[in-house]
Amino acid sequence: MEKLFNELRERLLRAGVAPRHVRRYLAELADHLDDLRAEEERAGRSRGVAESAALIRLGGMDDLSKAMIGQRQFQSWCVRAPWAVFGLAPLLLLAGAYFVACLILWFGWKFLLPGTDTPFVRVNGFAIFYFGVGRWLYFGAPILIGWGIGLIAARQRFKAFWPTVGLVLIALMGGTAQVHAGRTAVPGGVRYISMGFNFGSSAQGISNGLLHALVILSLAVPPYLIWRSQKAHSLSA
Amino acid sequence: MYHEFSMAARQTNPNFMNGVPELLILRLLKQKEMYGYEIVQAIRSRTGAVIEVGEGVVYPVLHGLERDGALTSRRRTVNGRSRIYYSVTPVGSHRLADLSEAWTHLANAIKKTLTGRQHGKAIQ
Repeated sequence: MEKLFNELRERLLRAGVAPRHVRRYLAELADHLDDLRAEEERAGRSRGVAESAALIRLGGMDDLSKAMIGQRQFQSWCVRAPWAVFGLAPLLLLAGAYFVACLILWFGWKFLLPGTDTPFVRVNGFAIFYFGVGRWLYFGAPILIGWGIGLIAARQRFKAFWPTVGLVLIALMGGTAQVHAGRTAVPGGVRYISMGFNFGSSAQGISNGLLHALVILSLAVPPYLIWRSQKAHSLSA
Repeated sequence: MYHEFSMAARQTNPNFMNGVPELLILRLLKQKEMYGYEIVQAIRSRTGAVIEVGEGVVYPVLHGLERDGALTSRRRTVNGRSRIYYSVTPVGSHRLADLSEAWTHLANAIKKTLTGRQHGKAIQ
């Protein structure tokens, strides 16, 4: 019985049915099967015969999977619009994280370092913690988003193409991101923080950007590979 | 072993089933809320087992109707077992009325065709 449900789960997920719908479907099928088996046992059948009869009544694998796959409304967004889930959404999320990190930097500079011309100075006390949060967000966001891509792809049993696209885009965006902070060129000028995405013109800048992108990739990809291998292992077992 | 049994499962021709499960489910749930197993048993009992489908197939229909707003569900624990009970919403009641009307027209048309009444009149 467990094998039947595992096979059905895999079939549905690979066909693009959203994991939450699959979970609920299988839970209700399991309850239904219990009821059917109990009914057959009440009719005087042995446990083994009752279970076989219950499985027949529940329906064949093809019928059970087709009934769910046939309803387009249960398809996951990963399947309907993979470019949005693995391409656009991660980039927007990362842009949002960078925006918040820049806000943290700007407010910290304004209120904790009012006399300095740049926020990139040695800090003490509470400022260490405060700027640490912003720094963690700046450096951690691409990796967390990469893990998110991997998790979504693994849950949906997605083929590697779109998750790879998403991970590479995130790594490139993270690797090329550069924050600039300064004051306008007048005495006591207005503080500004800007952000750009480029490798720079120098060879050093390009190699630094690529190295940063590779570091992000090397940290973001392993969980996806582990989840994939775990799923493959659980299927073959 | 499972495949051997599933091959032998008896089923109503799916070509004639389009829209029927929705109609029957909405009609039954209009009377009282039920969970999946109860619904299938009620369909079997009311139709004299004329309509036979794999019983598990009822859940995608239920979930689809719920997603369309025709049904609502809630989890209830009865006799120590947690079950999902379904009931009809006002949207579901409208849909039931529409489906009933459509099926009544269709059934009447088929009945006339089979009994040949119109044809008989035309000859006279």
